[in-house]
Amino acid sequence: MAVEAEMVAIQRATAQRRPSGGIGDAVFHGLTVFFAVLVLVILGGVIVSLVYGAWPALRKFGFGFVVNSAWNPVTENFGALAPIYGTLVTSLIAMLIGIPVAFGVALFITELCPKWLKRPLGTMIELLAAIPSIIYGIWGLFVLTPFIQEYIQPALIGSLGKIPGIGLLFAGPPLGIGVLTAGFILAIMVLPFIASVMRDVFETVPPMLKESAYGLGATTTEVVWRVVLPFTRIGVMGGILLGLGRALGETMAVTFVIGNSHHVNASILQPGTTISAALANEFTEAVGDTYQSSLIALGFILFIITFIVLAAAKLMLLRLQKGAGS
Amino acid sequence: MRLYTRRRIANYTVVGLSLAAMAFGLTFLVFVLGTLLVNGVGALNVTLFTQATPPPGSAGGLMNAIFGSLAMTVIATLIGTPTGILAGTFLAEYAHNSRLGEFVRFINDILLSAPSIIIGLFVYAVLVVPMGHFSAWAGAVALAIIMIPVVVRTTEDMLTLVPNALREAAAALGAPKWKIVITVIYRSAVQGMLTGVLLAVARISGETAPLLFTALNNQFTSTDLNAPMANLPVVIFQFAMSPYADWQALAWAGALLITAAILVLNVGARLFASWSGLER
Amino acid sequence: MSVPVADPMRPPASAQPQRQTQTQAAPSNAFQVKCEIRDVGFYYGKFHALKNVSLPLYDRRVTAFIGPSGCGKSTLLRILNRIYELYPGQTATGEVLVDGENILSPGLDLNLVRSKIGMVFQKPTPFPMSIHDNIAFGIKLYERLPKSELDDRVESALRRAALWNEVKDKLRQSGLGLSGGQQQRLCIARAIAVRPEILLLDEPASALDPISTQRIEELIAELKPDYCIAIVTHNMQQAARCSDHTAFMYLGELIEFDETERIFTRPREKRTEDYITGRFG
Repeated sequence: MAVEAEMVAIQRATAQRRPSGGIGDAVFHGLTVFFAVLVLVILGGVIVSLVYGAWPALRKFGFGFVVNSAWNPVTENFGALAPIYGTLVTSLIAMLIGIPVAFGVALFITELCPKWLKRPLGTMIELLAAIPSIIYGIWGLFVLTPFIQEYIQPALIGSLGKIPGIGLLFAGPPLGIGVLTAGFILAIMVLPFIASVMRDVFETVPPMLKESAYGLGATTTEVVWRVVLPFTRIGVMGGILLGLGRALGETMAVTFVIGNSHHVNASILQPGTTISAALANEFTEAVGDTYQSSLIALGFILFIITFIVLAAAKLMLLRLQKGAGS
Repeated sequence: MRLYTRRRIANYTVVGLSLAAMAFGLTFLVFVLGTLLVNGVGALNVTLFTQATPPPGSAGGLMNAIFGSLAMTVIATLIGTPTGILAGTFLAEYAHNSRLGEFVRFINDILLSAPSIIIGLFVYAVLVVPMGHFSAWAGAVALAIIMIPVVVRTTEDMLTLVPNALREAAAALGAPKWKIVITVIYRSAVQGMLTGVLLAVARISGETAPLLFTALNNQFTSTDLNAPMANLPVVIFQFAMSPYADWQALAWAGALLITAAILVLNVGARLFASWSGLER
Repeated sequence: MSVPVADPMRPPASAQPQRQTQTQAAPSNAFQVKCEIRDVGFYYGKFHALKNVSLPLYDRRVTAFIGPSGCGKSTLLRILNRIYELYPGQTATGEVLVDGENILSPGLDLNLVRSKIGMVFQKPTPFPMSIHDNIAFGIKLYERLPKSELDDRVESALRRAALWNEVKDKLRQSGLGLSGGQQQRLCIARAIAVRPEILLLDEPASALDPISTQRIEELIAELKPDYCIAIVTHNMQQAARCSDHTAFMYLGELIEFDETERIFTRPREKRTEDYITGRFG
């Protein structure tokens, strides 16, 4: 042991220690900063390229572009009204159907289903989100559209279509394709996202809070309505906005079933178009600078709308995180 | 008693509706996957993988599209993974209390959910137009841009989970930061990071919109990365919207292939995560 | 290979030089001061956590730091290898002289400083690699050794940490597969493999069962002849068993520092006596 000690002392004194990796640190740090900033550059690049490409059309048509419902490649008269209208209406339908269903799913998974089912059900709902847009598109075209054309649309026309006022929403022949079909498919695509966020947020409610409500004799519905929802209000809003952001930008599923018609119709049974569907259908064949620039202008408008929605969603979810004190 | 009864009825109604909602979701999952299976299986056979996409009215396969999709996915993964991991490392290891870090995180999450067709437009403007033609490179870059935010997010989350004690122990030995991150932190988080990459690959496997204006499509078999390249999603788009029955059959087969690949990647990633002891 | 050369700055083990230290306590005549803590203060942001702490750490002796939770003993330990600098907003003032050189001065190569001061933490922190690589990790940072020599160093570190016999057949297996007590001994082996001059132990046994704790304490006694050891412990009996000198801290101040025997039998300060006798915990 004494020899060992002596060896240790001697070797400590004479150990040749290389200086530590100052350069390595600088290089690595630099790399991480570079790629992080690259993310910012990409978004910046997106904005710049959209503005640059849209500029000719925006300059030519001015603000009237947004309210013009014409779309004529021959006379080069383009207006964004029909695509914007279609985007908003399909997303609205998707939200009207998707939010309650997502809420029901989240409620079921967090409060009602037996423990052993939670994981598999959650995974299955997430699989719904994993199915790519184009699959929904082709399923929608070949399976859903005929079904809607044969059963749903005639039923709607026959019932709600007869009521004055509301009937305007359901006018026209049953074509199968159209705004309603697109909205419905969007609802199915969007509901797993909203349900996921809702479920995550519901599970942050402290069990003690719920238990004290149950302990007072409240029903499940009441606990969720009076305790869970108010507690998770901000997160739920964030999730809804996230779903809306998705719905607004969805392309392929909508393109298959919306009918690609640049017309603004009150009836949701009629074909229409959305910004992304117009881009998908027409961009590669757009001849002429104005045509192409108008399409890019559409893309720019879509980007602004989704950016606002997503930024709002992010801010809400951030506030929720900070509020949770984690 | 009337109030109590009313409450009970309200409760049963909501519970019933909730059950219906769950059934709604599951029904459509089964419906979509089932239809896919039924329609796609019929067109499955070896020629899918041996023959290229045919002109309308004749038989053929999807070989060039499969190859193109694989090639572009691989390239996109090669571009997107290191970028995403390094950017995520910045957020997790260097960006505490940093305005830049918060900003990057914010923008990253916006990019994560941005419409993929807009990304396609962007790459069209910066790659296709200057190059003068569509190309597989442009397609791969577009897919990479979609992949990067996902990898950034999962990398940051996984690295943040590594306990500080491990960093301190390595620092106490005198290890410089870059060595700590690469040899200790990455090793600790490698399983989670890999899961994130797999999920990101699954995500880009099905993306169509960004390829529409970048890689376009190619009816012939081509390995030229500098030219338009066939890929499954755009082929499905084109064939499904067409009036030709054999094209439509091929579209279903392609759809089945993509979905199968994505589901395998997804389920595989989750199994891998739980097998290696990670909690979702 | 290096030629053994006597370091003129360090007296050979046989000599017994006297060295006066400026502390509140009676100087210990028998041993050299390895590390002198001079007027050290510490801030967590604006919170003044440590105030004017001064004491010596003697070479080849064990110095224990005791005191109630939050008294600053761990904070002080973490100043000695500047590990607090991993976190923004934490600052230290004063001087810490190791062999006469102030290690808190900003111009120093921080990693080089840390490589000479070993630290073992409360919770065992094996790296996610094989047992062999865990030990080799620190060595490879600063020395380029041929494989056989590296293996020898790993073996000798594991032997000194009393772990060799238990792991010699599974050196390639992951360090995470060991029990808690074994993991902690692995961390100790890892720390001593790089031949540090000072060993800092931050409640090394508090997460372990009694038997493992006893082994760690035996280990400390075995390592003492070669290192200057500072140990933070909330277990007074452990301090009494293991250490030669004890420092009692309270609310960020050093209340009393003396030979262990003196502290536990005839403490000078009332607060020390109150803590030792359990009037507050």
